[in-house]
Amino acid sequence: MSPSRLRSTAVVSTAMLAVVGLLGACGGGDAAGAAGVARSDGRPVYGGTLTYLEHQPPTCLYLPAAGFYPNGGILNQITDKLTWQNPETLEIEPWIATKWEINKDATAYTFHLRDGVTFSDGTPVDADAVAANFDVYGLGDDKLKLPVAEFVNNYERSEVVDRLTVRFHFSKPSPGFLQGTSVIGAGLVSKKTLSLPYEQQCQLKNVIGSGPFTLKNQVVDKEVDLVARKDYDWAPPSSKHQGRAYLDEIKIIVTPEDNVRVGALTSGQADMVRYVQAYDEKTVRDAGFRVYAEPTRGVNNGLYLRPGNSILKDLDVRKALQAGTNAKEVVDTLFTPNYPVATSVLSHLAKGYVDLSKELAYDPAEAGSLLDRAGWVRGADGVREKDGRKLRLGVFVAGPQPLSKQTLELVGQQWAKLGVQLEIRPADSGTQAVDIKDAEKTPLQHSMVGRADQDVIKSQFHSENRDAILSHDEKLDRLLEEESAQPDEAKRNAKVGEIQRYVVDQGYVIPLFEEPQVYGAAPYVQGIAFEAVARPWFYSVWKSRR
Amino acid sequence: MVLLRVEVAAVTRYLLSRVGQAALVLWAAFTAGYLLLQLLPGDAILIKFQNPELGLSPGQIAEIRSYYAPGSPFLDYLRTLTGFLHGSFGYSIDTGTPVVERLGEALPETARLASAAFLLALVIAVVIAFAGSHSRTSWIRGALLSVPSLLVAVPAFWLGILLIQVFSFRLRLMPVIGGSELQQLVLPVLTLAVPVSAPIAQVLASSIDEVSTQPFVPVVAAKGASRWWILWRHVARNAVLPTMTVAGLTFGELVAGSVVTETVFGRNGIGRLTEQAVNAQDTPVLLAVVVLAAGAFVLVNLVVDLLFPVLDPRLRAAS
Amino acid sequence: MRRPKARGGPASRGRGVRRPKARGGPVLAWAVIAVTLLWALVPGLFTGHDPLAGVPAEKLQPPDWHHPFGTDAVGRDLFARVVHGSVHSLSGALVAVAVGLLAGTLLGLLAGSAGGVLDEAVMRVVDVLLSVPGLLLALTVIVLLGPGTVNAAVAVGVGSVAAFARLSRAEVVRVRRTEYVEAAFGSGGGFAAVLWRHVLPNSLGPVIALAALQFGVAILALSTLSFLGYGAEPPTPEWGLLISEGRNYLATSWWLTTLPGAVVVAVVLAAGRISRSVGRENGREGA
Repeated sequence: MSPSRLRSTAVVSTAMLAVVGLLGACGGGDAAGAAGVARSDGRPVYGGTLTYLEHQPPTCLYLPAAGFYPNGGILNQITDKLTWQNPETLEIEPWIATKWEINKDATAYTFHLRDGVTFSDGTPVDADAVAANFDVYGLGDDKLKLPVAEFVNNYERSEVVDRLTVRFHFSKPSPGFLQGTSVIGAGLVSKKTLSLPYEQQCQLKNVIGSGPFTLKNQVVDKEVDLVARKDYDWAPPSSKHQGRAYLDEIKIIVTPEDNVRVGALTSGQADMVRYVQAYDEKTVRDAGFRVYAEPTRGVNNGLYLRPGNSILKDLDVRKALQAGTNAKEVVDTLFTPNYPVATSVLSHLAKGYVDLSKELAYDPAEAGSLLDRAGWVRGADGVREKDGRKLRLGVFVAGPQPLSKQTLELVGQQWAKLGVQLEIRPADSGTQAVDIKDAEKTPLQHSMVGRADQDVIKSQFHSENRDAILSHDEKLDRLLEEESAQPDEAKRNAKVGEIQRYVVDQGYVIPLFEEPQVYGAAPYVQGIAFEAVARPWFYSVWKSRR
Repeated sequence: MVLLRVEVAAVTRYLLSRVGQAALVLWAAFTAGYLLLQLLPGDAILIKFQNPELGLSPGQIAEIRSYYAPGSPFLDYLRTLTGFLHGSFGYSIDTGTPVVERLGEALPETARLASAAFLLALVIAVVIAFAGSHSRTSWIRGALLSVPSLLVAVPAFWLGILLIQVFSFRLRLMPVIGGSELQQLVLPVLTLAVPVSAPIAQVLASSIDEVSTQPFVPVVAAKGASRWWILWRHVARNAVLPTMTVAGLTFGELVAGSVVTETVFGRNGIGRLTEQAVNAQDTPVLLAVVVLAAGAFVLVNLVVDLLFPVLDPRLRAAS
Repeated sequence: MRRPKARGGPASRGRGVRRPKARGGPVLAWAVIAVTLLWALVPGLFTGHDPLAGVPAEKLQPPDWHHPFGTDAVGRDLFARVVHGSVHSLSGALVAVAVGLLAGTLLGLLAGSAGGVLDEAVMRVVDVLLSVPGLLLALTVIVLLGPGTVNAAVAVGVGSVAAFARLSRAEVVRVRRTEYVEAAFGSGGGFAAVLWRHVLPNSLGPVIALAALQFGVAILALSTLSFLGYGAEPPTPEWGLLISEGRNYLATSWWLTTLPGAVVVAVVLAAGRISRSVGRENGREGA
């Protein structure tokens, strides 16, 4: 390179370094503009727009299928439920249903509805409409291609007793149903919505609810604008705030880049963001903003091993992987105290939780001897082999799970010490959709489910629900069915305990941590609330600035 | 008179053959795209509906599939082709909306972004080329003339991320969320313009070089014309053709750049639509984007080719 | 993805990018390429750290004497990852160039030598390839083949076939018209023999210059594909993957995306510089 070129390159490099220096020097941002402690004692103000940044665009919004967290920010604002699960006590409280009766064996539920509630298309939320909702959620509709909801078990039929009284009948006890009426998927929609085929119910513009906000404008995959319903007057009675929502509008903007979401929040371009990554929590806090880490109270974030796979069909191998995975190291390295190390397959806040930390202790020596016993011998490259086959397992990076790739990389490091190779495949939905249902191609899955009811464990493991382990284990299915049909709370919890022990003993799961939903919000955003499994509820939110 | 008629006939023939070639290329692009995209592993229907949360049976999935693509492959090809000729691109499998609608939403955004970026790229290129060629200090000249190579060496997504971090989050000059449409446009336009400006600047700089060494320049200068005036008058005229050729070719760069830029800045345009369509294997959308991009490229270059004889007297004489 | 000016517009002929003054050899550029090649061949010489296994306790440390590029979120040495990653990035780019070079040059030779209907047909195919923006073409190919290092490289290579084809065809046509080739035909040389002995070697210069340029372009394109999530699989330390993984730590750990990015810029710059110098030397010889 000639002198002049050399020099010119040097000039440019200096400029680049200056830019980089700027990045470094400004690290931490300025906390001066932030108010520090918010005045939560201030009087709520009406009006204003909340700019809320979401990590992923909403998927299908057919309610029973809409549990995906990015949908929660939208659906919780535009639909109401029969009941409200208090996120602190987990008690079921009245909402659209003012009271209810349940028969002794939990096969008949009678709900008395609040009068004067309307959907945003003007039709009333009456016994007829509610019955129509649960007929679809409980039975599905083949013609409209509507599947059954996972939160309704053993549903038989509905009965309209009078204009404001509806009764549901079940073929077998269905103790989880009352809580089921409070979950996001049980949002009530107008009969017009229910009459549409699946593909159309998926679209936001067709979801007509009775919630405090309605859809104003949608730019597909980019932005959803919600506007407050002026005549809304049927919040859960336990809510301090009644009447219309404080905010005028909510702008939900899809911002997939993690650094853009957090940067936009701390630089004042957004009011609230979902999915603050663990390493950004400090950035957000240091800038004078608040971090909300809400527990999801369900099946823990972990690796779910598929016994149908030709390597993992051996119990010793599954137990070896379980013993050879150091969940604490994963949490200490990648996460924060908001992500408690898993002590069972369920969160310690879940109903029926039992502490299995002894069974799940990290023991690499034990893992090694289990693999030796199973006949897997270390090859020249350090990877174990058996009958000329390498001990190599594939897993997809799970898009919705926080730092899934880093987590899998770290687990891969730990497994490499055992002589096990973990092949991490990028989350590309094309091949993933095909391969994820094949235990041979995808021997393990990285996932979790949130729901504050005992039935959550059935959702994850039952071969007719999510079937995370592609199970052919009839005993497991039977245990799960017994759990979901047990009307007695104490016996039901005991059954949940039995199931946890069983899936851990069988090495079906390597629990890693209890996954929270982490939000960041500006200090002037007041009244932020969440439902029981950490989806935001903007009804009582107000802004103390401007 | 006769001569004129011959010339008109020649020009018409030239025009017709160029238009015919363009149409042929478009048809081939459509067919190739159609064939390739039919071979995709997995498919959009599976991706969308095989989500375990939905619990659809294989039978129901098959039914949904037949709803989207009935009939034999060849008939489907003909049907799709006729649809394209009538400006109907079918339905997006991912969102269930007509592809035309999605393109209609995305196109203006990208058109705004790309045209602004192209103009900015031209400005950057002209500034670099003229300033570079005519600064008397050799190191400044060297520095300026090596800027284009640097500009194309920077990964666009990396540049975009650095720009956001510095100008939006640190210096707080330009919001990327909220703010006016104009404010939101500044950083993406800059990101997109940078790589596009480089080839234009290079061509301009070498044109300037060429003109400056022509024997007539000292003559005109001797007659008292200023250096800048000569440059402007002769270089501009001589540089316009090669610049146009390169500009036509940078169209692909703009499309490719918009995929990255729109993803980084979370803007809804053709680029982001493409990225999402690839992710969801939404074949109808992908096919429409490919044909649209090819169509625009062919059109831009057709215009450039047709303008050549008009602008270049030598060519006009030759034909 | 940038397309070189391979379009044979009448006015663009002979207006290659030319620097005002002849300059010394691109020593620095060659040095950059040599170092990265050595990284790829003998990474152990440059770093003692393991690129795949980190020390979790040493996560996210800024650059210092021990870790010249700092460490990442799971405590891996970033410099080791860049060094060991060079083999993936360079071989990816080489594969991409090889695909474009082989397929493109063959097509070009065929069209240029055969002429007539075949020439027309091949060049129309090339037109189609040229009309679809490179990244779009690469994305289509990648969706077809699935993601991964090799597939991404092939996808990027397909995008450059058109450029190589046009260039080599133009060169063949030009060389064919020169007197000695016509003489070779005249003295009864067989078609293939003439092609092999005279046309090919004479057309090679500009093709090599284009190959060097495409090498840099391919590195950029591969990193873009990695950014979009279609490139190498983790934990492969491919450069594009390093940049794109590091970007989310920009606010807290600037080195993670900035330093691998700077390495990519340096290599692409060097490739472009070499391409120009090869092109210029060739231009002088040809004159």
